[in-house]
Amino acid sequence: MPDLKLILNLLGKLVLFTGIALLVTILIAIIYNEDIVPDLLISAGLCFVFFILTYFFTKKKDLNPGKKEAFAIVALSWIFISAFGAIPFVITGYIPSYTDAFFETISGFTTTGATIITDIEALPYSLLFWRSLTHWIGGMGIIVLTIAIIPFLGVGGMQLFAAEVPGVSKNKISPRIKHTAQRLWLVYLILTIAEVILLLFGGMNLFDAVCHSFATMATGGFSTKNASIAFYQSPFIEYVIVLFMFLAGVNFSLNYFAIRGKFNVLFKDDEFKTYLKTVVLCTLTLTGFLLFIHHYHPEKAFRDSIFQVVSIITTTGFVTTNYETWGLFGIMFIFVLLFAGGSSGSTGGSIKIVRHLLLLKNTVLEFKHLIHPRAIIPVRYNNQVVSKDTISNVLAFFFLYILIFIFSSMLMITFGSDLETSMGATAATLGNVGPGIGHVGPVENYAHFNIASKWLLSFLMLIGRLELFTVLILFTRAFWKK
Amino acid sequence: MALSLIFSIFDNFADFKAIAFSSTITSLSGIILHFLTRKTNYNAGKKEGFIIVTIGWIVISMFGALPYILSGTVSSFTDAFFETMSGFTTTGSTILSDIEASSKALLFWRATTQWIGGMGIIVLTIAIIPFLGIGGMQLFAAEVSGVTYDKISPRISRTARQLWIVYLILTATLIILLLAGGMSFFDAICHAFSTVATGGFSTKNTSIAYFESAYIHYVVIIFMFLGGMNFTLIYFAIKGKFSSVYKNEEFKTYVIIIFAFTVFMALVLHIFKDHHPEKAFRNSLFQVVSISTGSGFITDDYEQWTPFAKIIILILMFAGGCAGSTTGGIKAIRHLLMFKNTFTEFRRLLHPRAVILVQYNGNGVESNIISRVLAFVFIYISIFITGTIIMLIYGLDFESALGSTAATLGTVGPGLGVTGPGGDYSSLPESAKWILSFFMLVGRLELFTVLILFTKSFWKT
Repeated sequence: MPDLKLILNLLGKLVLFTGIALLVTILIAIIYNEDIVPDLLISAGLCFVFFILTYFFTKKKDLNPGKKEAFAIVALSWIFISAFGAIPFVITGYIPSYTDAFFETISGFTTTGATIITDIEALPYSLLFWRSLTHWIGGMGIIVLTIAIIPFLGVGGMQLFAAEVPGVSKNKISPRIKHTAQRLWLVYLILTIAEVILLLFGGMNLFDAVCHSFATMATGGFSTKNASIAFYQSPFIEYVIVLFMFLAGVNFSLNYFAIRGKFNVLFKDDEFKTYLKTVVLCTLTLTGFLLFIHHYHPEKAFRDSIFQVVSIITTTGFVTTNYETWGLFGIMFIFVLLFAGGSSGSTGGSIKIVRHLLLLKNTVLEFKHLIHPRAIIPVRYNNQVVSKDTISNVLAFFFLYILIFIFSSMLMITFGSDLETSMGATAATLGNVGPGIGHVGPVENYAHFNIASKWLLSFLMLIGRLELFTVLILFTRAFWKK
Repeated sequence: MALSLIFSIFDNFADFKAIAFSSTITSLSGIILHFLTRKTNYNAGKKEGFIIVTIGWIVISMFGALPYILSGTVSSFTDAFFETMSGFTTTGSTILSDIEASSKALLFWRATTQWIGGMGIIVLTIAIIPFLGIGGMQLFAAEVSGVTYDKISPRISRTARQLWIVYLILTATLIILLLAGGMSFFDAICHAFSTVATGGFSTKNTSIAYFESAYIHYVVIIFMFLGGMNFTLIYFAIKGKFSSVYKNEEFKTYVIIIFAFTVFMALVLHIFKDHHPEKAFRNSLFQVVSISTGSGFITDDYEQWTPFAKIIILILMFAGGCAGSTTGGIKAIRHLLMFKNTFTEFRRLLHPRAVILVQYNGNGVESNIISRVLAFVFIYISIFITGTIIMLIYGLDFESALGSTAATLGTVGPGLGVTGPGGDYSSLPESAKWILSFFMLVGRLELFTVLILFTKSFWKT
């Protein structure tokens, strides 16, 4: 049995943090002179009340979470901050149903970007800011998660990729981890500020620039405009966002090295190379397709391709064009990309490049094994031998991912959606992308689903974001045994 | 082929010349080749093994296509090759829109290709695949006596013969049971051939639905089910050793999969489509067994069922029967091992230092084998996705593209959409047919056997 008091104690602190973040939102409301300040104050107040209650209830606990507690805290923290983060939407009346508000908030904190709001521009500035802020906070959470907690828990073979980050030992969270997290947050902050400046330069106003930068760096996808990035009709803005989406899909420790000028580390990394190749290859294919089949203007074909490819691969979910009009091939292409994902240690979700790479390497090796059955040929990653355990870890993750995808698609069909929409919505939420195919494409949203579907999709966002095992392990018997 | 001649005689000598001619050509080529390559001794190495198996299926399909063309039933070689490949790989996808218009001799030849294909698969899975070590199959064949991993020992031919006898007994029993159900002798033989081989070629346009007899439906279900079992287990069962059957984990999984899907499907049909309970059960059971074993016979057009039921059919196309049977697809054992590995992963997360092996039939399974099984599934899914995209480029709709790729790769037969039970593969473009023929071959030969020929290291000396 995990220590429930300890879990509650830490959850209380996270909710407190949510409340503080809400105070920032209140500041925005005051600046724009909006009349929802009291509503927001109540929401923040509820967070503080929850914190105080848990604090006194679990006062004298020492803070040494074991493995089981860590699993529970990670899974529950995203649920709790979403539950409290949804309150402002409900109290202010802009999203009257709690289901919808929860969906929107967890979509924010999991950096998915799937929305149920049809007319985004009707929201007050403060709530728009709050939506973007949930992305940004979610992205920060993911960085700690992948750098510190996931390797500690050993989920889905991720211990391998984090090993090169200083400060991570596999047995316990060492104090040095704090430094690492701080350094990576600094990278995150620098990139966000750089993007804000560049977007301002492209003619965006400060508010939109900040909101879009938050959503880009977190690979989220919430925009302040109904038409997403397509609203601006500016190639400069689009290319800037492509660049930053791409950077957000790179392992942040690599970004850290890059900022310090050590580019050779970047180009020696197997995952980065594969990531770059995938983006280039997919962009070229799609550009060719748009050029020859749909007769686009060359520059527009390239820009639309690279934007959509980077946006979907990194699981951001911004759009500049409606890919549903690209015919079956185009739609299928986008659909497959929903499973790609960014690099490990980035804010991107989905299966992730490193897992694809290892699966591919393992498969190719299998052929060699067939010809030389007695030879021992290990899979190599960044010049190091990958143990069979890690491979089996990665494969189990992949299999589970596909299984959940199939099973949830079927559930969505029983809830009354058509085949394409079910597959699209499932893949887009499980991969934390946002827009999918079918009735959840770029020009539509998730508002039309029934309540059961919305809760299911919220759950998918959560498990997809937390690398499946972290959440699902809570449902195993072994977890609750003494 | 000469056998088909007999039926031709009964059928007023229709297509007699065509088949006689093709038979002669084929035999002549065989004889010529035999003389050309006379003096080599028969010690096939591993690499030769891969080539022989792959080329073997292609060559027999090319010669087997001759009767269709020479008789004028099928005008293009592509179509004839597709049909024959579909026969020898026991797929059952057809390009014939009006099957009943063909002569009896040709229909018999169609059914025979499946029966021969089935026999070929038995040798393949029992003897050759374990020898080549493909996709973790060595594990499942290990209990068969006579298989050593290093070379095909003489005892293997005895094992193969034993299993062929099982195959023959099943076929003969099925013929008798079908005759008892009122089928004509000709139809009984043809259907028996394609049932035991889990092929799916019928002599009727509407497949088994033509025979509106619950008895025939249930008989075919039972034999499709048996066709999807490991033949070694059937051999034990015939010899009275039932315990080894019930103890086998793969067999249990196979039964559970079929049972669960049938009950589920029957409920869907009964509730949403208001089918009569017995009919809902029979149709569900028939279609579930037929699709999961990769037979592809049909008694009810599932295209008319709910979209949900169609998804289940699509998923079942990936099921497959047991290892060592005549079925294609991913196969029950691989699903089982993947499941076990995934659940073991949860326990490993909680106890990172413990060495926890996946257990199968009471033995620990090496991680090497697990990694092979998973590599197999990964390739399978990759081919499926690539195939679907290619079919979309050819202009098929989403459903048909998914269905035709899954159905040929899993050697099932009928797919979804235009290639579903109500339709056939004739409307597809030429090159798409070649690609699907390739999928049948790849799927039938456990992927690696064929794909390895395309690797660089294979051709290195």
